[in-house]
Amino acid sequence: MAMRTPLALAAAILAVGALLSFVLPEYHLRLMNLSVISAIAVIGLNFAFGYAGLISLGHAAFVGMGAYGVAILTTRYGWSPWLAMPMAIAATAVLAAVIGFPLLRLKGHYLALATLGLNVSFYIVASNWISLTGGTNGIARIPELHIAGQALPGERQFLWLGLVVLAVAAMVASILHASRYGRAMIAVRDDETAARMTGVDTTVVKISAFVLSAIYAAIAGCLFACHTRFVAPEDFTYAHSITYLAMLIVGGESSIVGAIFGSVLLTFLPEWLRFLGSAYLVFFGVLVLAILVFLPTGIVGLGRLARRPPRRPAAPAPVRVPEVGS
Amino acid sequence: MADFIQLLVSGLAIGSVYALAAIGFVIVYSATGVVNFAAGQFVMVGTFAGVAMLVDAQLPAPLAYSAALAVMALFGALFFLVVYLPLRKSSVVTIIIGTVAIGITMQNAALLTFGSWPFRLPSPVEGRTLALGGAIISTHALGVVGVTAIMVAGLWLLFNKTTVGVGMRAVAQDIQAARLMGLKVNRLLALSWILAALLAGVAGLMLGPMWFADVSMGDPIALKAFAATIIGGFGSLPGAIVGGLFVGLSEVLGASYISSAYKDLISFGIMIVFLLVRPQGVFGEKIQDRG
Amino acid sequence: MNVLEARGISKRYGGLAALSDIDLTVAKGQFVAIIGPNGAGKSTLLNVLTGLVMPDGGQVLLDGRVMTRAATYKRIRAGLGRTFQHGRTFARLTVLENVMIGAAIRRDLGEAALRDAAMAILEQTGLVAEANAAIGSLSYGRRRMVELARALACGPRILLLDEPAAGLNSGEVDQLVDRLSDLRAKRELAVVLIEHNMGMVMRLAERIFVLNFGCNIAEGTPSEIQTNPAVLSAYLGEGYVHAGV
Repeated sequence: MAMRTPLALAAAILAVGALLSFVLPEYHLRLMNLSVISAIAVIGLNFAFGYAGLISLGHAAFVGMGAYGVAILTTRYGWSPWLAMPMAIAATAVLAAVIGFPLLRLKGHYLALATLGLNVSFYIVASNWISLTGGTNGIARIPELHIAGQALPGERQFLWLGLVVLAVAAMVASILHASRYGRAMIAVRDDETAARMTGVDTTVVKISAFVLSAIYAAIAGCLFACHTRFVAPEDFTYAHSITYLAMLIVGGESSIVGAIFGSVLLTFLPEWLRFLGSAYLVFFGVLVLAILVFLPTGIVGLGRLARRPPRRPAAPAPVRVPEVGS
Repeated sequence: MADFIQLLVSGLAIGSVYALAAIGFVIVYSATGVVNFAAGQFVMVGTFAGVAMLVDAQLPAPLAYSAALAVMALFGALFFLVVYLPLRKSSVVTIIIGTVAIGITMQNAALLTFGSWPFRLPSPVEGRTLALGGAIISTHALGVVGVTAIMVAGLWLLFNKTTVGVGMRAVAQDIQAARLMGLKVNRLLALSWILAALLAGVAGLMLGPMWFADVSMGDPIALKAFAATIIGGFGSLPGAIVGGLFVGLSEVLGASYISSAYKDLISFGIMIVFLLVRPQGVFGEKIQDRG
Repeated sequence: MNVLEARGISKRYGGLAALSDIDLTVAKGQFVAIIGPNGAGKSTLLNVLTGLVMPDGGQVLLDGRVMTRAATYKRIRAGLGRTFQHGRTFARLTVLENVMIGAAIRRDLGEAALRDAAMAILEQTGLVAEANAAIGSLSYGRRRMVELARALACGPRILLLDEPAAGLNSGEVDQLVDRLSDLRAKRELAVVLIEHNMGMVMRLAERIFVLNFGCNIAEGTPSEIQTNPAVLSAYLGEGYVHAGV
């Protein structure tokens, strides 16, 4: 009974995805793969931000850790990708816990800027630790994935693998959402003090949400490395972190379905704006701003809007005292 | 020693630019609560306003600088109307994403207009140098520090000695009370944005001759301005100045004495240490541990 | 055994003594009220007892265990419960889910058992009909009842209530008094009540504890307090006599 929603979600992802995998042209299949990979990362970000309210502008760094983990273990140490992936994910989780422990005492825009600093630091290290990461040239020739001794021959087959991972990721997220752990995360975002007063160990909840989000990011990073078979620091900048957040908010924060919609939309949007030629990024920015202004609850909010009256607007951000000449 | 003086001056000059960008960021944050992630793009627009007037239109210097600053003032007002007003009731994160999105638009609009080839923005004291303690110092760099000092003094006068400035502080302190006192709150909020844009414009005009004018220069400046604000103290103007100078010095001295590859890691490393140990920065207020 | 004991609590904010040398003991099942003018230090005392504020001096004991510096959630798991002055609920969760957060203090309970435990609490507090309602759809008074239910779901042996009647209409206040009397009878629950509504205090409290300027100026039964000259001058003299008696 409690499993109905998660299973339905997984089935819907597999069905819609499989259908699309047969009707879309080859080039769009590549974008679908990128959407699926982003969606996994964004579902992870939903734990940290959507549920627990931790503003992370460093999510791409964890995607990068997963991707670099696979790249380094396979190309330098000759590991099989199937062995390298769990190792990279585990290492990212440990790093996230170590980073999260001191960092998550911060709140709001302090946490935002600290995680931004984390992402920038990751980029600088990845660009300059040449002996390990290959510097700005990145790491090429990551081996392709084999299933049952067969290399995945193309985008379509990779998409099937990606869809299975996405379906499982979404199902697990949905189960967690409806559990005591998901509720505790939401409680921490709604009112941290009241959560403590209800017996919730808010430190553990925040670190768990952060580590969980990093695990999802690392899974996305592993798939990314195996899909493009090349990683470079440029793929994991803080701009990517902001894109992940934008995907979540455009889709509808705190919603797993929204995370998927937002990822697909923002991955395909540049393609749909291609008719604008080199001006497309100008419109991309304006369009995202328009969605934020006119659809504050995201794409999933469209459906809710039809059923329920709109929510009251959030309180304005606190205003601080300037200290000019005082 | 001569090397050190040279590095010191260029560190202070670049730090002055960061400080001006950080001050603009803080003025907007204090008045409106908006964490403006397009702050770096404001500086980029300032530089390219200079390119348009000085290089493209070939206007004489005084006219060109005035025209560029007028463009910046208009730009600040436009940003207030098109970005701030629609987003003003949104959450912190929505505002972050919104200002980033519009920053992407600004950067690509500049790319369409000016192309990706970097420009050389001339300085009014182009090529001149001064000898100081055996070191050859660029007059432009000294001028940047001087102009910044004048700007800071001007801001102090504005916020302490003029009705408009005191009104802006009142709005920043308590917007409801300011409204009850009969202040024209929206006009003062718009002025905060215009002031921030003007400061970014001055920063951009001074930065142009030191770096190449490049449409992608906004992001690194924004990052440095953020680091400066955190180190100095979020929301504090003296903090923005000290933080900006500190980041500029650590970048230039760090590149030369420690490692040029990891020079940026120094300022961000220090920023993260500050966040963890003293999140209120050098000048910020004590942050309440709860609530 | 005293379920809660505070010894010599003091707390200063800059030059201001918010609490000086406060002693408070609450026995099992006892109903204690703390009264005093605004700014007397009542909420600060609750913050110290619940670990939101660390005292400069003194000790807090729960069931005889020293918990002066313990994290809030540990105190809750040790049998303390609290509601807030302005009523704080989790806005994105339903009424039932709010209460399930409290019930989840029992880590051995599965999802179904948690739901049952929370439903039982909703029944006791008269919230069953609103179990699946969004918090935003409730009146302020009902929201405060959800907060009380959530605190009860943690299974406290002592409950600290910060002005639970503030903002409630008279019908809701009567309902609240009934619920509290009921709970005491059924659960042997000790209660510390901060309240300006003197009618409610006199009806419920066994002992009254009077704070003024961070000092304990009187302590006794309701009839003793009503006639205490120090209380009359410090507290009732300020016009609070009219406050709901």
